[in-house]
Amino acid sequence: MRARLAIGAVGVVVALYGALLFLTRQDPGQWLEVAIWFAAGVVAHDVLLSALLIGLCLVGARLLPAAWRAPATVALVVWGTLTIATIPMLTRAGARADNATLLDRPYAATWWTISAIVVLLVAVSGFLRSRRPRAQE
Amino acid sequence: MTPRLAPPTPDSFTSRLRSPAVAARVGLWLGISFGICFLTGLVSHYAQLPSHPIPFPTSPSWGYRFTQGLHVTTGIAAIPLLLVKLWSVLPKLFEAPPLHDARKLLLTVLERASIAVLVASAIFQLATGVANAAQWYPWSSFSFRTTHYAIAWVAIGALVLHIAVKLPIIRDVLTSDIDDTTHDRETATTPGPLSRRALVRTTFAAAAVATLATAGSTVTWLRQVSVLAVRTGEGPQGVPINKSARAARVEESASSPDWRLEVVVDGTVAGSVSYDDLRAMQQHTVDLPIACVEGWSAQGTWSGVRLADLLASFDAPADRDVSVTSLQESGPFRRTILPANFAADERTLLALDLSGEPLSLDHGYPCRLIAPNRPGVLQTKWVSRLEVSA
Repeated sequence: MRARLAIGAVGVVVALYGALLFLTRQDPGQWLEVAIWFAAGVVAHDVLLSALLIGLCLVGARLLPAAWRAPATVALVVWGTLTIATIPMLTRAGARADNATLLDRPYAATWWTISAIVVLLVAVSGFLRSRRPRAQE
Repeated sequence: MTPRLAPPTPDSFTSRLRSPAVAARVGLWLGISFGICFLTGLVSHYAQLPSHPIPFPTSPSWGYRFTQGLHVTTGIAAIPLLLVKLWSVLPKLFEAPPLHDARKLLLTVLERASIAVLVASAIFQLATGVANAAQWYPWSSFSFRTTHYAIAWVAIGALVLHIAVKLPIIRDVLTSDIDDTTHDRETATTPGPLSRRALVRTTFAAAAVATLATAGSTVTWLRQVSVLAVRTGEGPQGVPINKSARAARVEESASSPDWRLEVVVDGTVAGSVSYDDLRAMQQHTVDLPIACVEGWSAQGTWSGVRLADLLASFDAPADRDVSVTSLQESGPFRRTILPANFAADERTLLALDLSGEPLSLDHGYPCRLIAPNRPGVLQTKWVSRLEVSA
C-alpha cells in the first residue's frame, strides 16, 4: 500500500508539472482551444465511436450468421483501427502544393483496396466456417 | 420491444469481452507504448534545446533517426491499443457514484477525474501527434510543440497514477488465466464472437498492421509495405523535403549570384566566402541521415566543406557553440545553435552536394548544415551566416 501511494504521488506530481508547463507556456486563448480539443476527443470517442460500435455489434449479431461473426469482428478491429489511425493520411489534409514529397501516395485508392480485401477475406472465412459441421467453440 | 430512455448502467453491457482481463493485457502494452513515446519525446525536446547542460552526443549518427522513428511508430501502434482498451472498460463510465458515503464519493470523484484527464490527454496526444506527422494542423492558436510536450507530462503522470490505483487488480488478472472470472462484472457473461484471447491477439495484430502500414516513412526496407505512410521516401536527389524554398521565401535570395556566407567571430565580421570559395576548399563526403521530428527520415550522401575547417580558416576558436542563420526571413528555426561538440565533429559539413549533385533549391542550395544525430529541423538550409560566440 505504501508503495502504491508513493507511485501515485509521483504520478500526481508529474501530471501537475505538465499542467504547469501548459499554463505557463501558453496564453488563455490557447488554453481554451486545447480544452476544446480535450473535450472533443472524449466526446468523439466516448459518445460517437462507442455508440457507433454498439450499434454495429447489435446489427452484426442480428444479421450475420454465427460462423461469420468471428471473422467480421477481427476485420472490424483491424480495419477500423487502421482507418482511424491514418485519417490524416487518408484525407491528405496537410498536403502542400509546393512539396511533392509529402503525402505522395494514392491513399484513397489504397484504402478502398484494403477495404475490398478485408470484405473478401471475411466472406471467404465466413463461408468456409459455415461449411464446417460444427463451429469450433 | 419497448424503447428504454434510461441511461445505460454497467449492467447494460453483458459481453464477457469487456473485462479487466482484456483491459490489463492490452493496457500493459499501451502503457509500454506511452512510456516509449514519452522517453523518445524527451530525447527530441532535449536535442532541440539551444544549450545542453549535459552535451547531446554526436554519435551514433542515426540516434535521433532511430528514437524519433520509434516515437511516431509506437504512437501509431498505440492507437489500436487505446481504442480496444477503452472499449473493454466502457461500462465503468456508467457506474453510479456512491452518493451515500462521503468519503467513498470523494475518492470516486478524484479517481474519475484522474481517468478523465488520462483519457482526454491520451486521445489528444495521439490525435495531435499523428496529425503533426502528416503536417496537418487543424487548430488555430496553440503551438503543437509546446502543447504536445506539456500534455505528455500530464498523460504520463495520469497514467502512473492510474497504474498505482489499479495495481492490485492488474497484478491479479495478469497472473491468472485470461478466462478467469474473479474480477468480472456479474452481468458480463455473454460470450462474444471471439474468445478473450483471440480479441487480445487481434488487437496486437491491429497494432502490427497499423505499424507496418505507416513505418516506411522512416524504415527504408518497409517502404514497399507501408502503403499508407506519410511519405514514399522519394524526393529530389532521392531525399524528401520538409520545407520548400518557396514556403521559406528564399527562392530569390538563395539563387542569387551575389550570395555570400558571412562568418562572425566574437561579434565582429571576420569575413565572408562565396559559393566558388567553398567549392575551392577541401571537400569531404559523409553518409548521414536527415531525420525529421515528424518521424520521417532518409539517408543521404552529402559532400561539402567541413564546418570546423571553414571556421579554422577564420581563426575562430574550435570549442564554441556556433549560431547558424538561414536566408529565411522568418520562422522559429531561422537561426539555430549548433553545440560546440557538433561544430567540432569531423562529420559536420556545410554541404554543397547531395547524391553527387549540387543541392537542389529545396534541399538548401547554395549550402546547408548537415551534422550527425541532429534533429532535421536544426539542419539549417540556405545558410547565410555563421557566428562563433565569445
